[in-house]
Amino acid sequence: MKIQKAGYQGLYFPDLKVAVDAHHPDADYVFVSHAHADHMPRNRSSKAYASKATIDLMRHRGFKGEGHALDFGETVESDRFKAKIYPAGHILGSAMIYLESDKESLLYTGDFRTPPSPATEGFEAPDQVDILITEATFSLPIYRWKTNDELAEEVRSFASNTLAEHYTPVFLAYNLGKAQEIMHLVAPLDQTVMIHGAGYKMCPVYDENGINLGKYEAYDRETCEGNILICPSSAFSNGFASNVSKKRIAYCSGWASNESRRTQLTVDKLIALSDHLDFFELIDFCKQLSPKKVYITHTPNPAVVKHYLSKEKIDAGHIDIEMNEED
Amino acid sequence: MNTENFNFYTLCKVIQTIRQTRSTNSKIRIFAEYLRRLKSDHDLHLAAQFTAEGAFEEISGKRASVGSRTSGLAAAKFCEIDYDLVFKPCRTATGSSSETIERLMNNIPEAIEKRDPKNLSLEQVDEIFDRLYTVSSRADKEKILWETWQRMTPVEIKYFIRMLGQGSLRIGFETRSVVSSIAKAFKLDREDVRYAHMITGSIGKTAILAKHNQLEEARFKLFHPLSFMLASPIESRAVNNIEDYIAEEKFDGMRAQVHVHGDEIKIYSRDLNDITRSFPDIISFFRERQLPPTVFDGEICVYKDDTILPFQLLQKRMGIKKPGKKVLDKYPVLFIAYDLLFTNRKPIFDLKLPERRTLLEELAEEYHLPTSVQFEISSDDDIDRLFKRALEHGNEGLMLKHKESNYEYGQRRKSWLKVKKPGGSFDTVIMYAHAGSGKRGGTYSDFTLGISVKDDERYEEEFIPIGKAYGGYTDDELRKINQKVKELTVERYGPTLGLIPELVVEIEFDDIQVNKRTKAGYTMRLPRFKAIRWDLGPSDTNTLRDVENFYQQKIENEPLSQIENPSFSFSTSSDQS
Repeated sequence: MKIQKAGYQGLYFPDLKVAVDAHHPDADYVFVSHAHADHMPRNRSSKAYASKATIDLMRHRGFKGEGHALDFGETVESDRFKAKIYPAGHILGSAMIYLESDKESLLYTGDFRTPPSPATEGFEAPDQVDILITEATFSLPIYRWKTNDELAEEVRSFASNTLAEHYTPVFLAYNLGKAQEIMHLVAPLDQTVMIHGAGYKMCPVYDENGINLGKYEAYDRETCEGNILICPSSAFSNGFASNVSKKRIAYCSGWASNESRRTQLTVDKLIALSDHLDFFELIDFCKQLSPKKVYITHTPNPAVVKHYLSKEKIDAGHIDIEMNEED
Repeated sequence: MNTENFNFYTLCKVIQTIRQTRSTNSKIRIFAEYLRRLKSDHDLHLAAQFTAEGAFEEISGKRASVGSRTSGLAAAKFCEIDYDLVFKPCRTATGSSSETIERLMNNIPEAIEKRDPKNLSLEQVDEIFDRLYTVSSRADKEKILWETWQRMTPVEIKYFIRMLGQGSLRIGFETRSVVSSIAKAFKLDREDVRYAHMITGSIGKTAILAKHNQLEEARFKLFHPLSFMLASPIESRAVNNIEDYIAEEKFDGMRAQVHVHGDEIKIYSRDLNDITRSFPDIISFFRERQLPPTVFDGEICVYKDDTILPFQLLQKRMGIKKPGKKVLDKYPVLFIAYDLLFTNRKPIFDLKLPERRTLLEELAEEYHLPTSVQFEISSDDDIDRLFKRALEHGNEGLMLKHKESNYEYGQRRKSWLKVKKPGGSFDTVIMYAHAGSGKRGGTYSDFTLGISVKDDERYEEEFIPIGKAYGGYTDDELRKINQKVKELTVERYGPTLGLIPELVVEIEFDDIQVNKRTKAGYTMRLPRFKAIRWDLGPSDTNTLRDVENFYQQKIENEPLSQIENPSFSFSTSSDQS
């Protein structure tokens, strides 16, 4: 099957006239894996197929095109292909896109995490595909995550210990996905969370989808002290909660596993909470689907992944798509 | 708790906690608490030493000689991964070889299988360090590393490797913080602990003396180098009473400490290394004079035909361990003393400068030793006049020394001030970006800089490297450079990116030196970023000719002879025979 790059971060399959995560002028269908900015088509004329939550989140983030909401497992058919979306466990609404032609089957993972984030619809995948196009953000064996339970405990105890010492806990986390996962994890503490305005706007979609975000409000500079605070690192360096002197800061990201982030960001705690799967999970996932060919995208180290896949006798190639450092 | 176990693992956990703690006071409190609970003196010695100095005591001069390549290769073998293909990209991502090894040991099934942690004691680890020192082949070293790692947890392995590197563990906790922790642990005055450490040169011994309240037993010994007193740039300090200072010319040489007792003579460099063998001419100079036990602070200069020659010529002596007759004749050196630290069988760094000076002059007269000339100053005009004179002598500038000051070993305060001529600056183009390590891991922080040889018939290229700079920029500038670097990248060699030569930066340096091993033939001394020149393009960079001109001016600038108005006094009329 022919694969071409499209837009910033997306792909186009000319045989199927399908684009994923990008607008393409010749595409009959555009599938969107999830609502992070780098995967969302920007074009007003785009007809986007995605999960209902993704369409809703895209609307909140200014998507003006035509949206077609799909249920997970629901089939879309054209004369060239059959398509289905699988829950990807990355953020709410995130989906892997499965395409099947007469000749072969293909899975485009978008961003994914397995075991899934607890603030998502879960994770599911087909048993087998011919072509696997997978992201590989954390593509080195230095990346192995703790279990979801251990991470939840780390997040909760950081918040409760900090509050117990009369300090204000601040989580540095991306506005969509990571922020809501942290809210979901600290909800049992029954403390008010104040979240940065841009993230706050996304929360109703989580509520509608039955994800418990606990007690939350939009960030208010005057009253934020003593609450659990969440904001992206960019907002933090621009004065978020700068009036609160007694605060402790936790940076939550897969990149937090690198010690150098501590001094780069001057934070008190690094929590390696990623919304991507780790290296070992990635290699296992590729093996499980026994594909004829794997294409790796969104990766800083394609050679390492190819090396490990070749040890498993899996043929692999690289599609050079810029990765988003924001994770 | 009676089950407290003071093994190597416990120490590493304490070190890791210190790493994860932000406030310096909290770090000191944590380490003090740990030191206080250690029961045996030997454990106390090793814990303090491992944390502040590394695998070996600083004064032992021992090195494990296990470089990051040796430990990296051994770790790759241990984990059964490819060194070039897998280990190196991991190291680039973390910016730290030891952190990479820790994480691979923790993650890779083949490594987990091999490891069976045995709770090694501090003493056992000390023995392992010693064995690594004893064996010399890489194979033997690898074998010891392998056997050790089998018995360790990942966090132990990480700090074990860092300790092998000697010096800082890079946890934001330097020797002075360990000194503070010892003082806190045993409720002693910090200054007393620092003094004892300075004198013994051993943090382990200091900790034991502190524990037993015996700090006064620490005494200065001949042939143990003392940290040098350092000078601050005059621009960095507010100086009110200039007449409280005396001035000396700042010699364009190499700082050195000379310990003498009759035939026995040792020379130490500013980083306290023994450099005796490089200067047999200074040895015979002192041997002829048969001094009583004495320690001098001063400068080694190339001195010929009554003239102090540029530092660039001294460089030709510095690298050579055993200089031959030809080199000795061509670049004769002289040690010019300007301070006295030990005489009449006792250290005198607690005396005020004029008292030390008087003793130094007495010795100089009796034994015919070159000593700096001191000048009284009372105004900025005096400084300007003397500064000009110093430059005419081929010296670097002036030293201003406070008359009421003790010899503040290891300190850089305002008792000594330096007045220096700024070096120069060139507009260069960034040719390569290198991934940083440690704090700068994950970003490109070191840059190879090019100058133009476009119209130079000796070269085929447009640009050739003139040096590497890794500081002087702000965090914001570094971020902007990194963004630009992304756009300009055309090649990738592991942690290094090859760039389209487009981004122009102004680089400031102290001096230009000849370096035959580089393509340009010259390097910059202390290069640092002055400004990113977004307004300039690659055709605006300085050329190799500019660099050569700069150097030539420096060399041809004929220093004034020392016969009249000298910067140091030296009576050669020897009457001792």
